[in-house]
Amino acid sequence: MRNLLEWFTGSNASDPTKKRRKVSRTAYIALIVFTFLSIFPLYWLFVVASNSNAEISKIPPSLVPGPNFFKELKAVYAAVPLTNALVNTALIALIVAAAQVFFCTMAGFAYAKLAFPGKKVSLVVIIGTMMLPSQLGIVVLYIMMADFFHWINDFKAIVIPSMIGAFGVFWMRQIIDAQVPNELLEAAKIDGGKNFRIYRSVVVPIIAPSALVLGLFSFLGTWNDFLWPSLVLNSPKRFTIQVAVNQLNGTYTVDYALKMCGAFMATLPLLLLFIFVGRRLVTGIMDGAVKG
Amino acid sequence: MKTAKLGKIWAAGVALFSIVGGVLAPSSHAAASTTISIWTYGNVIDPALVAQYQKLHPTIKIVAKKSDLDGNAQALRYALPSSAVPDIAAIEISYMGEFRNYTQYLTDLSTLTPSASDLKAQYLPWRWNDMVADSGQVLGIPTDVGGLAVAYRVDLFKKAGLPTDPTAVSALWPTWDKFIATGKQYVAKEKGKAFIDIAQTIYTAVVNQGAQKYYDASGNLVYANNPNIQAAFNYTAAASQANLGTNVAQYSPDWNVGLNKGLYATVLAPAWMLQYIKQYAPKTSGLWNIATLPGSAGNQGGSALTIPTHAAHAQEAWDFIRWYTSAAQQKYEFVHNLTFPTVTSLYSDPAVGGLKDPFFNNAPIGKIYSSSVNSVQPFVLGKKDRLIDSTIGQALSRVQLGKQLPQAAWTQALSDIHRAIN
Amino acid sequence: MALLKREKSKVAPKNKGDRWGLAYVSPFFIIFGVFGLLPILFTVYVSFFHWDPLAGHNFIGLDNFRNLFTDPYFYRAVRNTFSIFLFSFVPQTILALLLANFLANPHLKFKVFWRTILLVPWVTSILSVAIIFSELFGQNYGMVNVAMHYLGLSHIGIHNVNWVGQTIPSHIAIASMIVYRNLGYASLIYLASMLAIPRDLYESASLDGASKLQQFRYVTIPQLKNTLTFMLIVGTIGGLQTFLEPLTYGGVQGGDSRQFSTLALYLYEQIIINNKLGYAAAIGVAITLITIMISGVNFLVTRRISGSEA
Repeated sequence: MRNLLEWFTGSNASDPTKKRRKVSRTAYIALIVFTFLSIFPLYWLFVVASNSNAEISKIPPSLVPGPNFFKELKAVYAAVPLTNALVNTALIALIVAAAQVFFCTMAGFAYAKLAFPGKKVSLVVIIGTMMLPSQLGIVVLYIMMADFFHWINDFKAIVIPSMIGAFGVFWMRQIIDAQVPNELLEAAKIDGGKNFRIYRSVVVPIIAPSALVLGLFSFLGTWNDFLWPSLVLNSPKRFTIQVAVNQLNGTYTVDYALKMCGAFMATLPLLLLFIFVGRRLVTGIMDGAVKG
Repeated sequence: MKTAKLGKIWAAGVALFSIVGGVLAPSSHAAASTTISIWTYGNVIDPALVAQYQKLHPTIKIVAKKSDLDGNAQALRYALPSSAVPDIAAIEISYMGEFRNYTQYLTDLSTLTPSASDLKAQYLPWRWNDMVADSGQVLGIPTDVGGLAVAYRVDLFKKAGLPTDPTAVSALWPTWDKFIATGKQYVAKEKGKAFIDIAQTIYTAVVNQGAQKYYDASGNLVYANNPNIQAAFNYTAAASQANLGTNVAQYSPDWNVGLNKGLYATVLAPAWMLQYIKQYAPKTSGLWNIATLPGSAGNQGGSALTIPTHAAHAQEAWDFIRWYTSAAQQKYEFVHNLTFPTVTSLYSDPAVGGLKDPFFNNAPIGKIYSSSVNSVQPFVLGKKDRLIDSTIGQALSRVQLGKQLPQAAWTQALSDIHRAIN
Repeated sequence: MALLKREKSKVAPKNKGDRWGLAYVSPFFIIFGVFGLLPILFTVYVSFFHWDPLAGHNFIGLDNFRNLFTDPYFYRAVRNTFSIFLFSFVPQTILALLLANFLANPHLKFKVFWRTILLVPWVTSILSVAIIFSELFGQNYGMVNVAMHYLGLSHIGIHNVNWVGQTIPSHIAIASMIVYRNLGYASLIYLASMLAIPRDLYESASLDGASKLQQFRYVTIPQLKNTLTFMLIVGTIGGLQTFLEPLTYGGVQGGDSRQFSTLALYLYEQIIINNKLGYAAAIGVAITLITIMISGVNFLVTRRISGSEA
């Protein structure tokens, strides 16, 4: 029993001459288990997408991918303009991310380092709005879009309201507060720097990694958003990817292989993006947390 | 001066992002093509037929947007008063009660050219009337109808000592009482199996067999005292309490597996469900047959196509609707998807009325469903049908799960409906 | 003359700062005002009406709020929301702390791989996660029930659990979806804070004879107080708005007895099934007030805790 426990924890209590493990076996086992659990749903998506519906409706279900993936993909393309949707979503997400970084960084800088009338009150109001559920805003926003702006079926309806975000301002305020020392700003001012140049050449380089992370968060959020775009976009050519995948439903039923194929294609670009910027994302999240 | 520069910079930023966002929207070509937009759900609009139509009319482009059933109705409610409407809107039978009286927001198709009144004779009368307003305006054309019959597993019936020939099986249950009695017989013999997939489907079937549903002809709510509604509720509750059904949700993954494993001996099936069974349980081919529904004929499901008043291309939309709901196209839908037509002449067409399928032991599907839909009694559809359906459905689920006794569940349903409607 | 000049230079920088601050923040304010604040003000306005988009609207004063007060389903939604929150937040925090502890080990191999892979669930769309979890928690054939059967749990009466129809099981299923999606993100937050703990604290503890477990309990956790309270505050605000998980898991009505209807889902039901925008708005106002109350309580409690430390 004791030996079993020691095998897991790597301690050398019973035999001090044995070298003590630096990392317990439990740690690796736990991490492997969680890795498996994290990846399994995506794998399962692919399995369902590549098998026929009959295959996955039996017990035990097929756990290996089948041969039908490209057949299903063809059916998905027949139902919705998938590439269009992916491109639309990528562009929209990129623009929203860039806009959020641009506007929230500037506003965060103002909240962190500058003074202006109504600063405290407005911050409270912004926090307050984070507490109202977004589903309500959707109906009202739709009425505004339809009757006032006439932006229904226009990408502007998705891009413009998302260009700012309460969370983004908050995040950048914390980041700038933590990472940009006041002395640095004072020094730059004394050196004769004009305000915007200070902002551009002193502040921005310091907070660039965190701003990039905000951009990634924003990109991911926009990519996975489906409630608002499904309400506002009417032409299939303009659909974002989540709206496109939602088109794959039957009237009373769901064709699982078809829908999962679409869902898989919707996640694949994110995974690819992840491979490239995942590391940055991890560092950014952790940087933002430390000061907390 | 610095403020001005900063001001210019952020103004440029906003402008840039809006312009790029707006530019992304593909501009409609100034060519001679008209685009018809459709808001629909599920399989109402078949892309294959859309492609055919576009081939026949090269200057017409059709774009369809799908939502789910409730989402579609909600989007319409907020869009109809404005000009941000589609040219065609699909309405499902549970929402027809609400939308058929929006005479302000949906076009009266009898005022278009050619008038809808000219087409009336071709269609199943009670489905036609579902989208006719109280004041007589024709607001929609029916696309399909569900019909209802009992699909049963021949092998499971045999094992339980029940007859297997469809006529004999249909004779087992001329009434719902006898259906439930047969069910009790079955579960007594076959432990651990269910007689019907979901008891709640009995409610829908019986409700659609009455002369009145939730509203009377003057638009008053009568659901609380309607004897047919109460009978529907009681039959379903009885079936639940006799353990005739399972707890799964229809069309869920669990349900699909149950279908394959022969967990249910019968399924109340509208025509389109037969297609689903073929797709999801191909290994059960040849093990099914179709019997008639207890009581009188029944229905489940169906849709209609409407034209909002502020539609931009009403005439082109009307041309498409007439084409899409005509005999030829409805026949195509039936042959390919088992979507049962509403054009009555098709019922005597051999391809439709005479259809037999070896998957279902060559049961005369066409004949069974035609006689089913032809004998449906018409009843008034009302504004809050969908809501009342869902609430009573919840009550029946509670009975199925043993959470409440039928009387308590019914009482709660009544108070829930009252609270939701007011 | 010289006096005036000096005074002017004292005042001028402050004004300049004001102008600058406003300039940086006004684009945000304008967009926020139109698309963030205005809809909210309009929502509060609507909560005093009976609002039907097609039949029109009429002023009914506080009636929506009066009805809300006596609505048993509203209170059920409140209870459900809190229950789901507890079922998700507590396991999530414990698991995240454990994972972070493993990840904080400086001798761990493939550090970057483990950290990145944990974020994958966070990236997967909620629709996909929901379908997978519905399958896992199917009553007759779902893998969870199958696994429990093989583990012999039927001997103690746990058999074929209905993970949708029964209240607590439905909460557990939905909570597991939430934990699944957020675990990686939470682990990274705790990891970052753990890495900032000075090593000498651990060294002196182990010199005092503390085991690894005791070190975790008496060194790590206290040092993480700030992070834990931050996660609690953010977690409660997010928890009060739980919407997509129950919606995609079991539908907009939250089950046959509204057993997993959360506050935000109940609100959404008013819009989409009952077509009662005014009542939905009232629920929205109620949710906001509850959130403010809870955040206030959180804030006071955590202030008391960090205050007592100093």
